[in-house]
Amino acid sequence: MSFWDVNVTLMKGLVVSVELFFLTLLFAIPLGLVICLGSMNGWRPLRFLAGRGRSGGARAVCGALGSFMPVRAVCRLVVWIIRGTPLMLQILVVYFGPGLMFHWPLLPRFTAALLTFVINYACYFSEIYRGGIQAIPRGQYEAGQVLGMTRAQTFFHVILLQLIKNVVPPMGNELITLVKDTALVRVISVYELIWMGESFIRKGFIWPLFYTGVFYLAFSGLLTLLLGWFEKKLSYFRA
Amino acid sequence: MPILEVQNIHKRFGRTEVLKGIDFSLEQGQVLSIIGSSGSGKTTLLRCITQLEQADRGRIIVSGRTVFDAGEALTLTKEEKRQRQLTFGMVFQSFHLFPQYNVLENVTLATRLHARELPDFSARKAEILSEIDREARELIASVGLSEKLKNYPCELSGGQQQRVAIARALAMKPQILCFDEPTSALDPELTGEVLSVIKSLANRHMTMIIVTHEMRFAREVSDQVLFMDGGHIRARGTPEEIFLHPEDPRLRDFLGSFQDRGL
Ligand SMILES: Nc1ncnc2c1ncn2[C@@H]1O[C@H](COP(=O)(O)OP(=O)(O)O)[C@@H](O)[C@H]1O
Ligand SMILES: [Mg+2]
Repeated sequence: MSFWDVNVTLMKGLVVSVELFFLTLLFAIPLGLVICLGSMNGWRPLRFLAGRGRSGGARAVCGALGSFMPVRAVCRLVVWIIRGTPLMLQILVVYFGPGLMFHWPLLPRFTAALLTFVINYACYFSEIYRGGIQAIPRGQYEAGQVLGMTRAQTFFHVILLQLIKNVVPPMGNELITLVKDTALVRVISVYELIWMGESFIRKGFIWPLFYTGVFYLAFSGLLTLLLGWFEKKLSYFRA
Repeated sequence: MPILEVQNIHKRFGRTEVLKGIDFSLEQGQVLSIIGSSGSGKTTLLRCITQLEQADRGRIIVSGRTVFDAGEALTLTKEEKRQRQLTFGMVFQSFHLFPQYNVLENVTLATRLHARELPDFSARKAEILSEIDREARELIASVGLSEKLKNYPCELSGGQQQRVAIARALAMKPQILCFDEPTSALDPELTGEVLSVIKSLANRHMTMIIVTHEMRFAREVSDQVLFMDGGHIRARGTPEEIFLHPEDPRLRDFLGSFQDRGL
C-alpha cells in the first residue's frame, strides 16, 4: 500500500464530504431565510418589507409567513429543538426514525445525511440572518421611505449589502464548523473522509486516519482565505 | 393660500395619546420652528407629517391637495402613499446616511432610482443620469462638501454627515423640508456648520419645519414658532412673541431652563 493509494482512497471520501458541504449550503442558505422570515414575523421593519400593495413571490412568502402568528411559534420551536440537540442524534433519527415509527423504507444514506444537515444548518443560518437583519437600524428603512424609494428598492439598494456584511463573519464560522461536521455522517455509514481513513485500520495502518486531518485543514484553510478576502472587500464601509 | 395645512392631527401609541389635535399652517417660503421639552410629541408630529407614522385622525393639505387623510389612509395603495411622501423631505437627528455609498452616491441614489420611472428614461438615459450627477454635485457644493464627494459616511464628521443628509433630502426637490433636531447628535463645535446651511436655505426661501433645541437659531431663522407641550400646541407666534414676550407660563418655564444654562 503506497502513499499514493492512501491519497486516492481518501480523495474518494473527500469528494463525498465536499459534496455534502456544498449541497448543504445550496439548500440551507435559502431555507434558512424562509425560517428566519417565519421566526421574525410581526417584527416591524419586516412587516414594512412585506407590506401591502406589492406583487411577486417575495411578497407572497413574507406576507403568508408574516400574517400567520403560529408560524412564528412553530419556527422558533423547530430552531430550539434543532439547536438544542446533537447533530449526530438528528442524523440517526432522520435515518432510522421513519422506518421505526411508520415502517417507511429507509432513505438512501447520503440523502438522509443531507436532509439532516440542510435542516440543521438552515436553523443556525436563520438565527444568523435574524441577527443581521435586526442589527440594521430602522432609520435605514425610513431614509429610503422618505426618499420615495419603493420597498423593493430599499431592500436591494440599501439593506441587502449591509445585511451581507453583517452575516459574513458569523456565516464564516458556521462554514468552518460544517466542514468538520461532515465527519458525523459516518454514524450511518456514509463513506466520507474519516470513514475512508478508518478503513485502513483493518489493514493495520492507523496513520491514514490521522492524515485525513490534513485534508480538513486544507479545506477549512481555503475557506478561511476566501472569507477573509470577502470580508476585506466589504470593509470599506461601516454599517 | 398656505402651502401646508395641518388639521386636527391625533396620534396614539397603544394607550398613550401623543398628539392631541394639532393644527397649523405654513406659507410658501416660510420657516416654522417647533420647540418643546422632550416627550412633548415633536418627533411624532414630524413623523406624521412626513408619513413615516400614520396619524389616527386629521388631514394634511399641501398646496390645496390632500396628501394625508386619516379617513382614507387605509384605502390608498403603497404607490399612492409613496408619491405623496415625496412632497416632504426629512433630515433625521442621526443622519441615517447609507453607509455603503459615498457622498455623491448617497445624494444621487434616490433620484437615479426615481428617474427610472420616467417614460423617456431608456431613450435619454445618459442625459438624465448626467443631469442628476450635475445637480447632485451642485447640492454637495452648496453644503460645502465638494472635497468629500468620494468619501464614505464613516470617514466624515457628524456635521459633515448631516450636511450630506440635507443635500440628499434636497435632491428629491421636496416642497417642504423637515428637520428633527438636526444638531442634537452633534458635538457643540459642529452645530454651527449645519445651522448655517439651514440658514442659507431659509435665505433662499425653502419652506421648512425645524424641530430644534437651538433657541437662538430658532429665533433668527423662523417666521413662526410653535411651542409643544403634552401633545398640544401650547403657544404659537412670531419669534418675538415667543422668545421676547412669552405669555404662557409653561413656555416661560421652558425658555427659562435654557437661559439658566446660558443658552
Ligand atoms: N413608536 C412609539 N411607540 C410608543 N410610544 C412612542 C413611540 N414614539 C413615541 N412614543 C412616545 O410618545 C411621546 C412623544 O415622543 P416624541 O414625539 O419622540 O417626543 P419629542 O420628539 O418631543 O421628544 C413619548 O412619551 C414617547 O415615549
Ligand atoms: Mg424628538
